[in-house]
Amino acid sequence: AADKIRLIPQDFLAELCEQIIQHLNRKIPGINTAELCQRIQTSGVDINIGDLAKIANTLSFLFSTAARNNLSTEELVTTLGSGVSTLPKHAVQVIRHVWNEQGKAIAVSEDAGNMATVGQFVDMKWKLGVAMSSDTCRSLKYPYVTVTLTVADPSGQITDKSFEMTIPQFKNFFRQFKEMASVLETV
Amino acid sequence: QLVSALHNLTRHVVYRGLIRAEDILCLFPENFHQNLKNLLTKIILENVSTWRNEAQASQISLPRLVDLDWRVDIKTSSDSIARMAVPTCLLQLKIQEDAALCGNNPVVSALTVELSKETLDTMLEGLGRIRDQLSAVANK
Repeated sequence: AADKIRLIPQDFLAELCEQIIQHLNRKIPGINTAELCQRIQTSGVDINIGDLAKIANTLSFLFSTAARNNLSTEELVTTLGSGVSTLPKHAVQVIRHVWNEQGKAIAVSEDAGNMATVGQFVDMKWKLGVAMSSDTCRSLKYPYVTVTLTVADPSGQITDKSFEMTIPQFKNFFRQFKEMASVLETV
Repeated sequence: QLVSALHNLTRHVVYRGLIRAEDILCLFPENFHQNLKNLLTKIILENVSTWRNEAQASQISLPRLVDLDWRVDIKTSSDSIARMAVPTCLLQLKIQEDAALCGNNPVVSALTVELSKETLDTMLEGLGRIRDQLSAVANK
């Protein structure tokens, strides 16, 4: 991953590092790797989302370990230097700068929230539609519900998952959630 | 050639949504054998709604929800906090990719998500709004 990091322009790398630190600080639910990757690609850099995800994971691990061990900026840079000798100079500069500005603020959190072994639910978007016609049926009139769940996976990266439900499925879906809510109330 | 012709006939009936015997009967050419024509129409009529449902089920679509499992847990302690009682919800959705793309081996992926009480309430609100929309559309 170190050689891929040299591809990322400095300001995008800084943005990635900031998102990682905000995520570690529980200020944002996750790191928007997909969106960042698209913007980097639009600027002309040829990087794929898998590589960007690996880089994000490595940086996240780096920052969280440094936070737990209370490393100062100099200690962090020294560790970087000894561990990863092939990191390009501009990358080290960015990491050093971001850590200097915001690293100390990473609270070793008391909050129960994050034994994140499964994805964390971030957002739900929905759409109610009617399929009017298809190549097999000219007059369909088939109603369906489309849902997009935004989930932050255990490493913090945000992904979207979309799926469709028929109306009976949706009614069951709704019923299950009401059950869950009432169990959560009484527990 | 016979199979192909029958296939075209049935597809045409399903496409046009023909459900009355007269509409199907007039598809046949004039000098077609009378009894055969009636028999074919009868068979087609019996099957038309099954075929229509199948067409609806296999049309192109986004991945479909096939199963939903959930569980409510209480977190009692962790390496950073010795005692707590935080209720949390674990949800597993099984999603099947578009059947038309997968042929006979549908790919089912599982999405496991954790929800807190707040996120669950937000979700319920969204779902309630869908339900209201559905009733509004149904009443039109």
